[in-house]
Amino acid sequence: MSFLITTLIFVAIGVIASLCTGICFNRGISANLFHQTLFITATVCCWMMWAIVYLAQMKPLIVPILSEGE
Amino acid sequence: MAETRGGCGPSMDLFRSEAMQLVQIIIPIESAHLTVSYLGELGLLQFKDLNSEKSPFQRTYATQIKKCGEMARKLRFFKEQMLKAGLTPSIKSTRADNDIDNLEVKLGELEAELVEMNANGEKLQRNYSELVEYKLVLQKAGEFFSSVLNSATAQQREMESQQTGEESIETPLLEQEKFTDQSKQIKLGFIAGLVAREKSMAFERILFRATRGNVFLKQAEVEEPVIDPVSGVKIEKNVFVIFYSGERAKNKILKICEVFGANRYPFTEDLGKQAQSITEVSGKISELKTTLDAGMIHRDNLLQNIGDQFEQWNLLVKKEKSIYHTLNMLSLDVTKKCLVGEGWSPVFATKQIQDALQRAAVDSNSQVGAILQVLHTKESPPTYFRTNKFTTAFQEIVDAYGVAKYQEANPGVFTVVTFPFLFAVMFGDWGHGICLLLATLYYIIREKKLSGQKLGDIMEMTFGGRYVIMMMSLFSIYTGLIYNEFFSVPFELFGRSAYACRDLSCRDSTTMGLIKVRDTYPFGVDPVWHGTRSELPFLNSLKMKMSILIGVSQMNLGILLSYFNASFFRNNVNIWFQFVPQLIFLNSLFGYLSLLIIMKWCTGSEADLYHVMIYMFLSPTDELGENQLFPGQKTAQLVLLLLALVSVPWMLFPKPFLLKKQHENRHQGESYALIQSTDDSLQSETNHNSHGHGHEEFEFSEVFVHQLIHTIEFVLGAVSNTASYLRLWALSLAHSELSSVFYEKVLMLAYGYNNIMILIVGIIVFVLATIGVLLVMETLSAFLHALRLHWVEFQNKFYEGDGYKFLPFAFALLQDEEE
Repeated sequence: MSFLITTLIFVAIGVIASLCTGICFNRGISANLFHQTLFITATVCCWMMWAIVYLAQMKPLIVPILSEGE
Repeated sequence: MAETRGGCGPSMDLFRSEAMQLVQIIIPIESAHLTVSYLGELGLLQFKDLNSEKSPFQRTYATQIKKCGEMARKLRFFKEQMLKAGLTPSIKSTRADNDIDNLEVKLGELEAELVEMNANGEKLQRNYSELVEYKLVLQKAGEFFSSVLNSATAQQREMESQQTGEESIETPLLEQEKFTDQSKQIKLGFIAGLVAREKSMAFERILFRATRGNVFLKQAEVEEPVIDPVSGVKIEKNVFVIFYSGERAKNKILKICEVFGANRYPFTEDLGKQAQSITEVSGKISELKTTLDAGMIHRDNLLQNIGDQFEQWNLLVKKEKSIYHTLNMLSLDVTKKCLVGEGWSPVFATKQIQDALQRAAVDSNSQVGAILQVLHTKESPPTYFRTNKFTTAFQEIVDAYGVAKYQEANPGVFTVVTFPFLFAVMFGDWGHGICLLLATLYYIIREKKLSGQKLGDIMEMTFGGRYVIMMMSLFSIYTGLIYNEFFSVPFELFGRSAYACRDLSCRDSTTMGLIKVRDTYPFGVDPVWHGTRSELPFLNSLKMKMSILIGVSQMNLGILLSYFNASFFRNNVNIWFQFVPQLIFLNSLFGYLSLLIIMKWCTGSEADLYHVMIYMFLSPTDELGENQLFPGQKTAQLVLLLLALVSVPWMLFPKPFLLKKQHENRHQGESYALIQSTDDSLQSETNHNSHGHGHEEFEFSEVFVHQLIHTIEFVLGAVSNTASYLRLWALSLAHSELSSVFYEKVLMLAYGYNNIMILIVGIIVFVLATIGVLLVMETLSAFLHALRLHWVEFQNKFYEGDGYKFLPFAFALLQDEEE
């Protein structure tokens, strides 16, 4: 469940950021499109990174084994 | 040109280069200069050289360029003089008159004045230093003579006293000898002067050899360096006096003096005369000094005046020179009343160019205005991206590989994000990210100040890439949080670790390990992993799979961009016989692998992915057994394998044949082409070279070989490029291991000694190692690897990069040029 919620947060951030560029820094359609592309790419990259790390830890095949010293 | 291409939706900034057009401008000769100057101010037109067959001397405005060159030379001379006088040309812009003819006269006058002043000054300086040297000789040699005289008189007195006082039995005989000695005394000549101290030893030796030891040389060091009258350089010197006998010896000595650059000065034995000449020389020196000082002040004032206006003049001359260079690229009309120019300009600038032309016509009181018309050509236009200070550096990263073909999809759009992102995957540490961010914020905050001044090579480069570094550091902070590393120390920022001991005693935590008791750590790597024995196997597996997933995504993006290119250029052949099979090939192998990775994570299956992938090729019909991840996997794999196998000939064969057919269709009706109408003939005369009509031969074998190479490259590339993305894993691992070594083996070790001195040393070493190795070297290597991933693995999927840059004739670009 937590995976979906965080993903939704990422989606929300991406959508809000790209909407904001249209509203706050309106510099014409083509410039806005460029800014939106940047934000969407950035969000996708960040989400992908997070999702990979999250998924990898979901069903662990290896568990942490503490070192002897500790 | 733009209208022949299809677009999808509204255009995006930076995604396609600006639409360009070839324009022809016909300018009346009387307003040509002003027109070109206005166009230079506008800076949106790249003139084509229409006189490329003419040598620079045959061109119309060769004399004017020569004049400008002469003026530039004078300005350089002024600059040199200013540098010698320790003045720097002031940047403040005093309004100088902008007339080039006046400036030419003025520069000529100033140069003549300065040259004369310099000549006079030099003469005076020479006299002055000669006098100073003379004075030194008088003093030093005088001292020497007087001391010798004193000792001589003392000796004589002693001798006399010996003669008178100590008359004994032995003395008379010696007395006799001494008297004869005195009578034999001959007249010795002497020469006095100065010689450079470093040459003095050699000087002495040569003198000794040349005269076979028959000279007596006396030297005295001058404490302070003296200005040499001949060279004008300050050097350390020795005063010397040479005693010799005979005319031949004198000649030899004079010659040696000349060779050694030893200046000789007249000197008398007479003490009275010496004193007299010293006062005389001192008087002259002070007189000359005042004259010299007055001259220097006058010269400095002149140079100061020049310096105030130097930049202005320099710019004016540069502009003028560039205007004439541009005018030389225009061709003279048959009637010799007009200049005809051709050049590229962005379509959006048409109005601005027309305005400039009109203003020039009005301002120069020309009866006819300049005419602007758009030409149609098959020549490929230059590539022009309108970048801002943020996107410039990213675009330069792309341009460094190759300038985009005209209107081809620009990878720069994605590079802005993916480049810093891939960098950060390798540089994930939010502590280091913050350091990098602070460093680059310094540049960004002081941007205005720093952009004006000259920086060193490395400073210049990092300053130019300040926004790239900013993005890199922001993403590093993000990936650092994901990796949960702050100078290699983990923090429980986003909740509690998901792992705990199996039982209360925690006995088997070092053998069996911990157990997952809560939901997965919500953001990033669980902090518990740090320092455990299974940390490396876990992180390696994670980072390796992550590299593949990221790589496959980025390569898919690249292939997708090739679709945008093909659809933009209306190239259906490329869509169906390049884009589609490429997409299928990559995804049926590595897309499938990515899917398996994700599946394995989601299901927690223990299937061996290496085994699955290898046996997918070796024996696709075998049962998967325990390695099966989903039902029907065998069938799916067979289908995928078939698709991959089919897509190879799909890429290879149809395209060359279709191209051949297209070419044949296009040239079927060629023999019945229309005769060119007479209206066009004039135009086509002037642009004959640029208006070639697609008569190029179609070499089928060449096209086929090209396609073969392309296919092989893609198929092999799919494997090697995916493997190449594993560098993300390797560098990320290296970074985290290095930083943990510095933390554990330097900082923690020093802390363990409980000694404040050792701790301080440890902190210093830790800081230096962090800055030197992690922040500088690792940044550099991660940068280079991200660069490679973009240039090779990403861009080779779609980017041609065989365009050429738009280089407009613009005064704004002149200022940066250095001679």
